[in-house]
Amino acid sequence: MRNAIEFEVYGNYALFTDPLTKLGGEKLSYQVPTYQAIKGIVESIYWKPTLIMIVDEIRVMNAIRMESKGIRPIEYGGGNTLANYTYLKDVRYQVRAHFEFNLNRPDLAHDRNEHKHHNILKRSLKAGGRRDIFLGARECQGYVEPCEFGSGDGFYDGYGEIHLGNMVHGINYPDETGRDQMEVRLWIPKMKDGYIKFDRPEDCPQVRVISEMKPKHFDENNVESVDDLFAQMEGGEAL
Amino acid sequence: MSWLLNLYETYESNLDLVGEIETRANDQEFTLLPISHTTQNAHIEVTVSENGEFHSASVIDKKDASTLIPCTEKSASRAGKVISPYPLHDKLVYVAGDFTAYAGSGNEAESFAHYIKQLGDWANSSYATWKVRSIYNYLKKGCLIQDLIKERILFVDTDKRLIEKWDKKYESLYPEKPFIFSVLAGGQESAFVRFNVRARDIEKDVWDDQEMYKSWIDYYQNLLGDEDICFVTGNRQPSTDKHANKIRNAADKAKLISANDSSGFTYRGRFNASHDAASISYEVSQKAHNALKWLINRQGKIIDLRVFLIWGNDDLNVPDPTEDTFAIGPAPTEVAAKRSFTNREYAQEVYKLMDGYKSNLSSKPKINILVLDSATTGRMAVLYYRNMDKEIYLEKLKDWHTSCAWLHRYRKNREGDFVQFYGAPATKDIAFAAYGPRANEKIVKGLMERMLPCIVDGANIPQDIVKSAFHRASNPVSMEKWEWEKTLSITCALINKTLKTRKEEFGLALNTENDDRDYLFGRLLAVADVLERRALGDETRATNAIRYMNSFSMHPERTWMTIQRSLQPYQARLGTKATYLTKIMDEIASKFKVEDFNNRSLSGKYLLGFYSQRHELYQKKENNNDANEASGEE
Repeated sequence: MRNAIEFEVYGNYALFTDPLTKLGGEKLSYQVPTYQAIKGIVESIYWKPTLIMIVDEIRVMNAIRMESKGIRPIEYGGGNTLANYTYLKDVRYQVRAHFEFNLNRPDLAHDRNEHKHHNILKRSLKAGGRRDIFLGARECQGYVEPCEFGSGDGFYDGYGEIHLGNMVHGINYPDETGRDQMEVRLWIPKMKDGYIKFDRPEDCPQVRVISEMKPKHFDENNVESVDDLFAQMEGGEAL
Repeated sequence: MSWLLNLYETYESNLDLVGEIETRANDQEFTLLPISHTTQNAHIEVTVSENGEFHSASVIDKKDASTLIPCTEKSASRAGKVISPYPLHDKLVYVAGDFTAYAGSGNEAESFAHYIKQLGDWANSSYATWKVRSIYNYLKKGCLIQDLIKERILFVDTDKRLIEKWDKKYESLYPEKPFIFSVLAGGQESAFVRFNVRARDIEKDVWDDQEMYKSWIDYYQNLLGDEDICFVTGNRQPSTDKHANKIRNAADKAKLISANDSSGFTYRGRFNASHDAASISYEVSQKAHNALKWLINRQGKIIDLRVFLIWGNDDLNVPDPTEDTFAIGPAPTEVAAKRSFTNREYAQEVYKLMDGYKSNLSSKPKINILVLDSATTGRMAVLYYRNMDKEIYLEKLKDWHTSCAWLHRYRKNREGDFVQFYGAPATKDIAFAAYGPRANEKIVKGLMERMLPCIVDGANIPQDIVKSAFHRASNPVSMEKWEWEKTLSITCALINKTLKTRKEEFGLALNTENDDRDYLFGRLLAVADVLERRALGDETRATNAIRYMNSFSMHPERTWMTIQRSLQPYQARLGTKATYLTKIMDEIASKFKVEDFNNRSLSGKYLLGFYSQRHELYQKKENNNDANEASGEE
């Protein structure tokens, strides 16, 4: 696919918190990552406000397992409380994702050089991402590696369909929808032989408005275009 | 699928059991509650006639007190001084219009006002049944306590106030202690009253009447809050922020979903209010929680307040992964153990066992495994959740029961006799094998949770568990004989399972070809044990082999010298009877490679050698000699 990358992300633990268990603070992970969690990982590999990262598909490689831990979360008022968090254990996912230009940002139109962005993305992936990767929650460190999507043996090969019920898909932010509000998207995913094909964010059947929000402003003054950067590197003595 | 959705679906597929009262092994009653209902212990039963006149009243015996009552969101979680009446049955302070005349400090009139208004709204709605109207017509007169005193249910002192606590001084008024004081924990004014209606024919009791449940549920549905997307089903339904407690037992305050935690870093940051983070519909919350409570009562296992629950969505009864093979199907494992110990035959028996469960595969064959516990009193967490295909589940269970199998003798059959069975041990027994019989319950529950993935996913058994069991099994002098035997057979099962994952499995049947050093050392120890035991005859003291087992496992060569030295007098005593055993010993010793016969400490395999060799010798004896003698020796 155009502008696509394929990679594997893995880690010892993952916590894709089910929002229902978030209210009281006894977090329990969803059985599979949300779209937003994977999107965050793609954005950690390489991101610029010019781009929108779209996750097409993931493949769950390992059996879904859980492990609980006693945690001492910090309270706003100071001090600690006690809670049990339940993590996914020993996770490995293959991901196929691509980027599109964010058309809600005409102010960054000068930065839309598709080929260059794609190559930066691929190089960033090879280096293990530009920012550190985590699986759902900050304490669950993850690692990315390029791979061929669908290669290798997965636990759910030939397993059939698993219905995952109603899940959070992700959060809509104003700079990607053009609407000045924050929204939560929900959908009903199905996992077939370990593969989950994600609906595109705008195709999600349920959208719940949370609150008003304005996008952050970007322009030539606080974003450097790829072309400028390229010219600088070629022209300067850095290389 | 999410755990809440599965609980909700379990409720929906068991609708025919709603309100049906079942009893647990300890005679405690439980039921699948209808939504918007809860249970309370009532003390007084008041019957009114159809046209709203007082008919009769009685004090309810404690056995019969549990009553299914309608409730509102608010009343279900009322506490302290909050005025929030239940819709129909409630305490005297709410239901009696003349309460202030007989008790209290005079500020309680408001409670009744709230109650009667709420009941009136229901009675005048189109959802009401004639029973509700009859009760309302009687209660709005506000003469309940007066009637109850007349009926000699409640008792007043000389000032015409309700007696708070029974005292000898009231004997002048009432010669016998009234029954009401023996059912109540507090004063008379705290009595809970339930209402019934006397009808022409035999009618169902008000609290046992499906029509009444439906009437309240339908009426209450209209009073619910705003609609929102339900995160569980995805439908737009009236949502709630009050969720059930009392999940594990009646005194359990912990909630699975609590919504008032604004003081921690739980949802705050991106979201301002808990409602922003997630919403759940009233119906789903009620049904899922009711189904969960019912399932826990029905088939849950609670260890130190940690709940282990396994159920099928349609067919509730499925084999429990934490149980041993004997508990899942005693008959086949017993038969298999007697007849033969080849693994293939045994596997076939387990296959048959699982087929029994597989035969009733329904259209949606799903298994749920849920573990719950709370770290603090107020909140409860899901510690483990798996939702898997029933067929795969049974397959995994079969793998577990065939691969972690050994011959055990610690179970009793229905007649109370110890029986041998070949199979996998229960997770609880594994905990006792690894940590001792006095292991803290917290440790037991932790181990049970850690063992679950080993069983349902085929994950490797954590090495610390196997090691701990191994060290305990190598130290027989630290425990009683029966306990050591139990520890030994369970440890053998664990070690064999660990070896199996490395494709190094040893069967229970003795392998005379094997020249693994540890295995051979184990066999030597077994022969030494059997020889000395035979020489000891009726004496029950521990043999040298057993007493030196611990040091043997650490320094086999050196300790073997000690053991062999101390064997000599017994060999002499047995004379020619020892020839057979001595010959075996020589045979084993000859199998050693010279460089292997050293002091390097032994691995778990030596226990397998020990067990198999000892088993083999007793088998032989049983075949050759009198069976009684053999069992006496064992």
